[in-house]
Amino acid sequence: MKIACVIPAYNEEKNIAKIIEQVKQIVDLVVVVNDHSSDKTKEILDNINDLKIAVLHHPINLGQGAALQTGNDYSIKHGCDIIVHFDADRQFLAEDIRKIVSPIIEENYDIVLGSRFMEIKSEIPKFKKNIIMPIAKIFNRLFFNIKTSDPQNGFRAMKSSVAEKIKIENDRMAHCTEILAKAFKYGLKIKEVPVKVLYTEFGQKFSGGFKIIKDLFLKKISN
Amino acid sequence: MIQQLIAGIVIFFFLLKLLNQWKKKTISANEFIFWLIFWVSAILIVVFIKQIDQIVIKLGFSSSAINLVFYLAVLFLFYLIFKMRLKIVKIEKNITDLARQITFLKK
Repeated sequence: MKIACVIPAYNEEKNIAKIIEQVKQIVDLVVVVNDHSSDKTKEILDNINDLKIAVLHHPINLGQGAALQTGNDYSIKHGCDIIVHFDADRQFLAEDIRKIVSPIIEENYDIVLGSRFMEIKSEIPKFKKNIIMPIAKIFNRLFFNIKTSDPQNGFRAMKSSVAEKIKIENDRMAHCTEILAKAFKYGLKIKEVPVKVLYTEFGQKFSGGFKIIKDLFLKKISN
Repeated sequence: MIQQLIAGIVIFFFLLKLLNQWKKKTISANEFIFWLIFWVSAILIVVFIKQIDQIVIKLGFSSSAINLVFYLAVLFLFYLIFKMRLKIVKIEKNITDLARQITFLKK
């Protein structure tokens, strides 16, 4: 099975080379989508000359959701069977990719989601763990019928056929909820696996949560 | 009377601007008709404000006609903002599609 790993990158000059190096040992194709970075990310990526690594540059900044969709489109076009979504900020561990693709290969799951709340415990900032995440969880459950332990985790793997079905329409951060909502709506075979998340800095802010809700609402009524 | 005169001047200014835009062909025929009806209605309201006041009282509203006009104007503005927001979302989607196509063309 051909596995692609999509890495959206925005101003990741410090991390991108290391992440690519780690991930390419595990997957067949690394698709890096530079989302119009203003730092040296583009230069670093343009210097890479490896057939296992595909570099795509957005001509303007579109957002993480849009970058993931660009990566999905590329992976599907290049005959990949499984697509992994991975962050460029070194929060996820490359070795967890094996764990996240295994249920698709061995148990025929459609989509596998990383979770910070299973056996492996990540050191999540208290405000995020006790305030933001429970609110996000209730919101996802109430409005989108999402029943997962970690709906805001960006580490996931899916079959290419699933990626073809789930077109990410939310360009910015609301894509996490959108992907899950569609996965539940289409009745896909979903599994959660424990993954470790390293917190280098405070990630999603409280205001970001409201922005996600606004984006989801607007997308819903404009369709 | 002075208030009506000021309102009339303001509306007249917007009507002139509208005609100017129509001459320059910067707005579509439908848009022009819509805004023409809007501003002509505004003039009629200003001219017949007393008569509208009486109608408002007969309909059982406690506020005056000018208040009612303001409420309706606010509601109308909310509707316009909402419509514009939806339009922006659609334009954003088109930009995303276009940018993605450029991304693949450059690859």
